[in-house]
Amino acid sequence: MKGTLNLVGYGLSAIGPAIATGMIFAAYISGVARQPEARSVLQPIAFLGFALAEALALFGLVLAFVL
Amino acid sequence: MRSLHLLRMEGAGFVPPSTNDFNLPPVFSNNPYTTKPVLLVFLSVIVVSIFFIMASRKAAIVPSRLQFAGEKIYEFVRNDVARDNIGHEFMRFVPYLFTLFTFVLTNNIFGIVPLLQFPAMSHVSFPYVLAIFTFIVFHYVGIRKQGIGKYLKDIMFMPGVPKAAYILLTPLELATFFIVRPLTLSLRLFANMFAGHLLLLVFILGGDHLLKGVIGLKLISPFAFAFGIGLTFFEFMVQCLQAYIFTLLTALYIAGALADEH
Amino acid sequence: MAVKDEGAAWSIFGYLLSGLLFWGGAGWLMDHWLKTHFFLLGGLVLGAGAAIYLVWLRFGRE
Repeated sequence: MKGTLNLVGYGLSAIGPAIATGMIFAAYISGVARQPEARSVLQPIAFLGFALAEALALFGLVLAFVL
Repeated sequence: MRSLHLLRMEGAGFVPPSTNDFNLPPVFSNNPYTTKPVLLVFLSVIVVSIFFIMASRKAAIVPSRLQFAGEKIYEFVRNDVARDNIGHEFMRFVPYLFTLFTFVLTNNIFGIVPLLQFPAMSHVSFPYVLAIFTFIVFHYVGIRKQGIGKYLKDIMFMPGVPKAAYILLTPLELATFFIVRPLTLSLRLFANMFAGHLLLLVFILGGDHLLKGVIGLKLISPFAFAFGIGLTFFEFMVQCLQAYIFTLLTALYIAGALADEH
Repeated sequence: MAVKDEGAAWSIFGYLLSGLLFWGGAGWLMDHWLKTHFFLLGGLVLGAGAAIYLVWLRFGRE
């Protein structure tokens, strides 16, 4: 077996943002489904939360290649 | 204990699928350009052409089954992808989007069609070419509509930001529009097709290898094959989804280039 | 009009990626040049911050 442990570490570190993204969009979808007119209020909040969670995943990706 | 030892012996003989499985030898040995992916791309063009010529040849008020299928695909691209995203000028872009969608979809589905079973898009050069086409189309449209100066200014400078922040933000906008967008567009399609094909190879080749093992391993191999078949249907879903996303993002980029301000 | 959700999610992904690559790459080059170790991390944080700011400008404002 050949390879680098960095990628295993990246795989582990991607679990957190993956769960976070799933929870954010689950909450967004159920919020819009219950109250469709709240979409314009919820959308920026959902996307900002998504951006914060995704930044962590990309940090892991970049550092897996660099370190 | 003995079976465990044998298991290790068996494991030594198994070659896990790797990127080498994607570098196929030429079909006609005297010509290095006729590899399987290239032939599949040609075949996909023929298949798509014949299907839509057949579907539209005898157009009737009461459609035949074939005509109905062709119209459904066309309607999907025209209404759900082009009209809902681009707006009133959408008719100009329907031919490009429709060609893109059917071409990518057919090539993806070749990944699970028996006997063909290779998605050409798992070679990164094919998505690169498609992304370059999209790149040229949406920048050309934006420059034609707004003029090159205004188009670049709209990309580079967001309104309502303190002047100092432009040092941080302008490189990001430029990198996003000119490098990251075409790159992610092609790599997303490539990575999905590559990973999907590799996944199917792991289960099918692994099941095949288990079948050659001792009796205990033979009993496990049906599960590997069952997983392989289940994942084939999952792959079908992923392939349709990726063709849709590629077309949708192309439409959204065109819409962004046409819009006066972001 | 609400932004199309899938397109917005991918566009956020693109901004974050280009932010990290650009400013992180600049930091990496500084490290390479000056034989230090902290510019890379600083560049990554700066890039992520700038990208999130850009996302807020584009999608978060009412």
